[in-house]
Amino acid sequence: MATANLRFGRLVRPTLNRHLLLALGAAVLLVAISAQIGAYDDYNLTAVAIFAVAAAGLTLLTGLNGQLSLGHGALMAVGAYTASLLLKDHELPVIVVLLAAVLTTGIIGIVFGYAAARLRGPYLAGATLTLAVALPQLATRYKSVFGGESGLAVAPSAPPAWLGADFPPERWLAWIALAAAVVTMVLLANLLHSSVGRTFIAVRDNEAAAALAGIDVARTQVLAFVISASCAGLAGALFGYWSGVTAPAGFGLGLSLQLVTAIVIGGLGSLAGAVWGSLVLVFVPALTSGMASTLNVPSSVANNLPLAIYGAILVIAMLAAPHGIQGALRRLLAMARARWAHIPAGGKKGVMDWDDPAPDL
Amino acid sequence: MLEVVDLTVAYGPVMALHGVSLTVADSSITTVLGANGAGKTTLLRTISGLVRPRSGSVRLDGRDITRLAPEEIARLGVAHVPQGQAVLAELTVDENLRLGGLWRRDPNGQRRALAEAYELFPPLASRRHLAAFSLSGGERQMLIIGRALVARSQVLLLDEPSLGLARLVLVQIMARIKTLVAERGLTVLLIEQNAKSALSVADQAMVLHLGKVVAQGAAHQLLTEEGLRHAYLGF
Amino acid sequence: MSRFFVLTLNGLTQGAIYAAMALALVLIWRATKVINFAQGAMAMFTTYLALFAIDHGAPYWLGFVIALLSGLLLGAFVERVIVRPVESAPPLNVVILTLGLLLFFEAIAPMAFGGQIRSFPPAFSIVGLHLGGSQVAFSPFDAFTLGSVLAVMILLLVLFQKTNLGLRMRASAFNPEVSRLLGIRVGRMLTLGWALASLVGALAGVLIAPTFLLYPTFMDQVLVYGFTGAVLGGLDSAMGAVIGGLLMGFALSYVGGYFGSDLETVGALVILIAVLMVRPRGLFSLQRLREV
Repeated sequence: MATANLRFGRLVRPTLNRHLLLALGAAVLLVAISAQIGAYDDYNLTAVAIFAVAAAGLTLLTGLNGQLSLGHGALMAVGAYTASLLLKDHELPVIVVLLAAVLTTGIIGIVFGYAAARLRGPYLAGATLTLAVALPQLATRYKSVFGGESGLAVAPSAPPAWLGADFPPERWLAWIALAAAVVTMVLLANLLHSSVGRTFIAVRDNEAAAALAGIDVARTQVLAFVISASCAGLAGALFGYWSGVTAPAGFGLGLSLQLVTAIVIGGLGSLAGAVWGSLVLVFVPALTSGMASTLNVPSSVANNLPLAIYGAILVIAMLAAPHGIQGALRRLLAMARARWAHIPAGGKKGVMDWDDPAPDL
Repeated sequence: MLEVVDLTVAYGPVMALHGVSLTVADSSITTVLGANGAGKTTLLRTISGLVRPRSGSVRLDGRDITRLAPEEIARLGVAHVPQGQAVLAELTVDENLRLGGLWRRDPNGQRRALAEAYELFPPLASRRHLAAFSLSGGERQMLIIGRALVARSQVLLLDEPSLGLARLVLVQIMARIKTLVAERGLTVLLIEQNAKSALSVADQAMVLHLGKVVAQGAAHQLLTEEGLRHAYLGF
Repeated sequence: MSRFFVLTLNGLTQGAIYAAMALALVLIWRATKVINFAQGAMAMFTTYLALFAIDHGAPYWLGFVIALLSGLLLGAFVERVIVRPVESAPPLNVVILTLGLLLFFEAIAPMAFGGQIRSFPPAFSIVGLHLGGSQVAFSPFDAFTLGSVLAVMILLLVLFQKTNLGLRMRASAFNPEVSRLLGIRVGRMLTLGWALASLVGALAGVLIAPTFLLYPTFMDQVLVYGFTGAVLGGLDSAMGAVIGGLLMGFALSYVGGYFGSDLETVGALVILIAVLMVRPRGLFSLQRLREV
């Protein structure tokens, strides 16, 4: 018995160790990068981190557990409003605000998760879509609490004194966001590799078989939903700090759809994919609007060119790289490895990987 | 006449058929036997065009049909009845029957063929306007055969028609098929798990094992070759 | 006029539009198992085309026909050129594809036609009719809206149930593989399905544009509520979609009228969740033997 525990310990800890080590390395790298770049880039870096947190949760839900949600923008709104309301009259440490947002959104996640536990595919998509449109309307309705159309202001978090008086607040926010992202990634990575993660995949791949194997399907669905909702809540609170104001317009249907496109473009079901997708989400529009403003075109074209390009990219990406960026990278890696070892790379487009995500719509 | 020449089919890295060849003469029944996974269904799906082979060819009356689309092959008179849900359950019996011959655009011929089918299978006539999912197993098989008749298909590829049928019904179906082959000169390629019944109606037989042909010849001969029977057919 | 009556009439005409959009979505879903999130944006585009023609001197009805015809062609084009290649990809990819199309159309419309809000002419007068001495909140245009949506539905019903073409389309949607083995050119049937769906969407566009005004995102609301209606009614059933769309119209009208327009969607959400909790596949979902 003692030997088994020892072996078990040695088995379990390496994964956690590995993830922690990666996290530490990433953290050091990111701090170094953020120290070199200017405020505008810190601003973008923060945005990437924020979306990465939300996308990671969503890719867990949709990629691993097979539940498509078109409403995570609304869940981000819950986190943002929680933060805004808490900060309205008091000054609170960031960590408290973030945890509160996670908690509140998690509770909403439980409620909605239970209501939607039996819904599959497009039916769940429809329900979450309606949530995405309905929730922001509550903010406009209950003006006195939520500030209506103009929303609530969010006081920026001031960098602590020990960092020095000139420490740029953008970099401080970037650090907070990056820390949140790293922590989220580590936690989710561990979850993915645990029995809980395998349960998610089992239910996604074959619900009937999973139920027969003794898995409580409804509870699994709700758990996945809650976890992803909590991530969205965290991201939402950070979003509030980042944009300085929490208003319904910032959390419309478009946000939910952006998150879904991010996880698919990045590579469904993969945490790295969540990061790639967030990079695309932030930098493609930034680059294309920069490009558009330098071109000599009428304003109606310049204003809409970034969106047209983004839409075109989505279409082309789906035609050319069905498994997203992570899938393409994996394929390149496999081809490179095969080239070295002179083994045929095997398979057709894609992948007969056991962890290949294939959600049913 | 249906000819399969040196057919090799692979699903990604998995080989399903290795160099399979066979000839099915007009007005005859050939049965394809073998264990699950031997490649029998793949063979039929390749002939009907649902699957592209890696190499080899399929010829219908001398014409190469290997790279044709399934709907074109069907219009050449090949009726592939896949295993399981070959009946369109949501549609009515009448609609199912009519589907076979729609592409011909010959309303008079269609009407005659329909009447013939109903005459041949009275149970279908009485359930004409009912949805097909209300039919019993045997009635569904009748519907499938009737549909092939209405389509005036000359080549029938049947994938385990006996699946889920009671023994008596199976015998009736087989007898019906044999009669139609004789009457209309049909060419039938039949996959069957129940090797004994298949061999009793078939003229020729072929045994597949892991994608390769391990035995081929007259059906009655196979019945008598004990070694083969035991090794591949389980009796 | 009692409040309830006004709200009911309003719900009816709006519901007809949502029903049309729901029908378009279900047509495509049944044929290709895809939710075409770009359906609203495509309808927006065809409505802009109609306005373009009208701006350049075409009579209203020519514009109307142009909208419908371009809807037909656009649907066929999108299916054949853009959606067909991703048929075998993971389903979520097609969702992203249609979302990409949505963004694309919503971006190029203002580029081609200018982004300012435009008004779109109604087919008939929008002044309430006079019945029994008082004015009713129902205009000739409302009657036309209801009538044309109804007419399209009846035509589609006849097409699908009574014609050989419709039979082939139904077979192709139900089981594409077996249909191909029966000699049906399934690909063409799918293209036709998308073309018809897009036609219905285009009709919804020109019918609602006078009320909502024409701007690049004006069909978003119709798409969302049409989709919700389709889900409510059950994606497998065309009739369910239509009824679901109508129910959405009524629900939004009543909730908006009695509780305030801000709570419209919340009310719709509550109704949707309530229905789906009891019937997870919509009100009119068929209990298929194999699904249980």
